[in-house]
Order: sequence, then C-alpha cells, then structure tokens
Amino acid sequence: MNASSDMSFFTLIAGASLPVQLVMLILIITSLFSWWYIFIKVATIKRAERDAEDFENTFWTGGDLNKLYEGIASNRRKPQGMASIFGAGFKEYARHKQQVRMEVSDVMEGARRAMRAAYNREMDELDAHLPFLASVGSVSPYVGLFGTVWGIMNAFRGLSNVAQATLSQVAPGIAEALVATAIGLFAAIPAVIAYNRFASSVDRLSVRYESFMEEFTNILQRKS
Amino acid sequence: MLRQRENSELFKAGVLSISVHAVLLGALLFSFNWKTTHPVSIAEVELWDSLPSEHVQEPLPPIEPIIQPEPIVKEMPKPEPPIEQVVEPEPEPKPQVDIVIKKKPVEKPVKKETPKDIKKSDALAELQKELMQDALQKPQKQPSDEALKKLQQESLNEDKAEADQKNLTAKAAANASEMGEFTNKIKAKIRGNVNKSLCGDGKPELKFEIGLLPTGELSGTPKLIKSSGNAACDDAVERAIMASEPLPLPTDAALLLQFRNLKLTFRPNDS
Repeated sequence: MNASSDMSFFTLIAGASLPVQLVMLILIITSLFSWWYIFIKVATIKRAERDAEDFENTFWTGGDLNKLYEGIASNRRKPQGMASIFGAGFKEYARHKQQVRMEVSDVMEGARRAMRAAYNREMDELDAHLPFLASVGSVSPYVGLFGTVWGIMNAFRGLSNVAQATLSQVAPGIAEALVATAIGLFAAIPAVIAYNRFASSVDRLSVRYESFMEEFTNILQRKS
Repeated sequence: MLRQRENSELFKAGVLSISVHAVLLGALLFSFNWKTTHPVSIAEVELWDSLPSEHVQEPLPPIEPIIQPEPIVKEMPKPEPPIEQVVEPEPEPKPQVDIVIKKKPVEKPVKKETPKDIKKSDALAELQKELMQDALQKPQKQPSDEALKKLQQESLNEDKAEADQKNLTAKAAANASEMGEFTNKIKAKIRGNVNKSLCGDGKPELKFEIGLLPTGELSGTPKLIKSSGNAACDDAVERAIMASEPLPLPTDAALLLQFRNLKLTFRPNDS
C-alpha cells in the first residue's frame, strides 16, 4: 500500500469516470460563461446608470428640448437608456405636431406609445443574460450533485467485488466525485449573487425610466 | 445571445472571467496540501513480563507430578494399619488362646506368636499348628494378598479418582491463576488510563462488571456495580475501561468463557 497517494487536483479530475468528467467539463464551461456575463452585466448596468444620471442632469437643467433632441439624434452612437426613450417620445410628438387637426390627447397617446416601446427595448437590453445567470444559479448544483452521485455509485460498485471493504478503497472515488459538486457550487454561488444584484439594479433603473416617462409626458402636454 | 451594445465589453469581460478562474484554481492548488501522506500505521505493542499463552499448558504437567506423590504418601499409612493390627492382636491371644482360635481372621498375621503358644501348651500346639497352618496358609496369605490387592486396587482407584480430581482441581487452579494473571493485567492496563486526580485523596473503591469479546474488546458498556461515591471518579474509571481496549486476554478458549463476564474491583489511589 502506498504510503502517500497522489490526490492532486488534476489526478482527481483525470481519475474520474467519463460521465463525471463530462459533468465537470460542462460545469467549468458554464462557470466561465456565467462569469463572463457577470462582468459584461456589471459594465453595462454601470454604464446605463451613468448615462441615466447624465441625461437627467442635462434634461432638468432646462434648455430647449429641440436642441437636446438634435444633439441626441446627431450623435453617431445609437441613443441608449433614457436618451432613447426621450428621443422616441419627442420624435413622435414633433411628427404629430406638424400634422394639423390633431387632437392633443391623440398626440400625447402617440408619444406615450413610442416611449413605451423604447422603454421595453431598453428593459430587454438591461434584462439580457439575467435568466442565464438564474439558471446557472439554480441548476448547476444539481448537475454537480449528479456527477457526484454517479461517481460515488461507481466507487461503491467497485467495493462489491472486494471481500473486505476498507475506506481507502472508496475514498479516492468519493473525492473525485465530490470535485464535481465543488465545481457546481463554484459556478452557482456567484451566479446567484450576481443575479440578485443585477435584478435589483435593473428594477431601480426601470423605476427611473418610468418616472421620467411620466414627467416627460406632462412636459409635452403642457407644451402642446 | 450577445447584444450589440455589449460588444465593447466582451473582450474585457472574457479576460476577467478567465482570470477569476485562474485565481481560484491557483488558490485551490496552493492553499490545499493535495499530497496526502498517510501516517505510518502505528502498531500498538504491549510489553508483558511473561508470555501467557505458553503458560496455559505448561503449568499442568508440573502440578500433576506434585500431586501424584501425595496419594503415595497417603498409601503409606494404609499398608501400615495391617501391621498395627498384627501388633494389636498380640495381647489378645496371650490370655485367651481359645478366642484366638475362634478369631481366625484376627490371627491371620500371627506368625511370631506361634513359638510362644507352643511352649505354653503342648496339647493346644497341634491344634494350633493346624490352625496355624490354616491361618498361615489361608488367612495370612489370602488376606494379605487379597488385602494388598484390594488395597492396591483401592489405592489405584483412589489414585485414579484422586488424580482425576487433582487434575481437575489443578486445571481449575491453573485456570484460576491464569485468570488472576490476566485480571491483573487488565486491571493494570485500565489503571494506567485512569485519571487519578478525579478520584480525590481518599481510598475510593469501585466495582465494574465488564463483558469481553474474544478480541479483547468490550461487548458492551461497563456496568457499575459498586460506586465509589464520587461520580467523577466512576466516570474516570469507566472512561479508562473504554480507553483500554483491546484488553489483554488469554488465547485459551475455555478461559475466554470466564472473561465474558468479569467483575473488576478498582482502587484507583492504590499504586
């Protein structure tokens, strides 16, 4: 019997049975993707918050709405967040305004609809990848557990041929199998934390967008 | 899957994601000591003054020869009584010869008296001679032979019976001594594990009943028969009994039976 058995991380993974290795591979890829999305989301949500802050500042400092619209429309970059909602609403309002014999309520309704559409698109952008993170957070522990159960089943099946079962015969198999659970948990925990954080950030942004929509509608109504 | 506006972040996020995994892998590799070294199995060795297994059989032969002489010593007095009987009848025949004649069996050994009788009475001499011949031929030889044979047989039987008994008693004695030896060993081993400081300064005495398996392990929890009056002391001894597994046991199967239920008396403070 070996005085010291090599139980390094890589031998544990290499020694595992094929289904367990497959589970580990899937979990590692999932973990890589979830972290990738987490960093993408962190960057995009931070940028959306910064953009909303900047736009609210420029919007509420007063000034001509036409000029503001011109600035947004002339920008090479496609308007994002609050700017895109404002652009859509103001564009629709200006278009209706040019047409004569248009009821005020109809003009306002049109502008509202345009803003609602832009808002939905924005929300869709903000919600991107959040379902994936939620799935990773809830499913990957089970996938890891599946790998572990499979590995332990194999470890114990190997015992059935042995007359005198000792712990050292099962221990490597169980250690190999438990690596799958560890990887699953490593993938799941950050995904769940990130999902919750991003969901609350997106909620706050959506509240901000909606309140801006209501206020902008009021401003347009007063103008007309 | 990916959105248009995320294009600028893709590369940065990818690098960060991979670096996070690399950091975790590094932490796993360096924080854990993955090389598990099994400690060299510690063999527990008990040092005994004498080997118990060999003593189990050795004591028996030496004791038997010691006991056999005893019946011989007892035999010695047995043949003697006939000689004493020979001496005793002497006074009887002197005063009353008739009685001597009547008492044939008593006369059996009367060899030496014959000359005296002849001198005393000639008439009686012939009769006596005849009687003597009879007595010499029949009673003396037969009784002596028969008696000797009987005695021998009896003594032999007795020898056998006694030998058997002695054997049994010897075995029992050997067993008892063996048992005492192992009981002392068990006690000594347990005493080494007792935390004496828990038992105070007095002379506590407690009795435990333990059941032992042939492997030397306890078959159950030790049962306290007589408490020392100090619960901490009782617990200390009980823990010591548990810690002393496996206890030394003889290899003889017959002896093992007696160890199945063992009552042990402890005086933790007596060294």
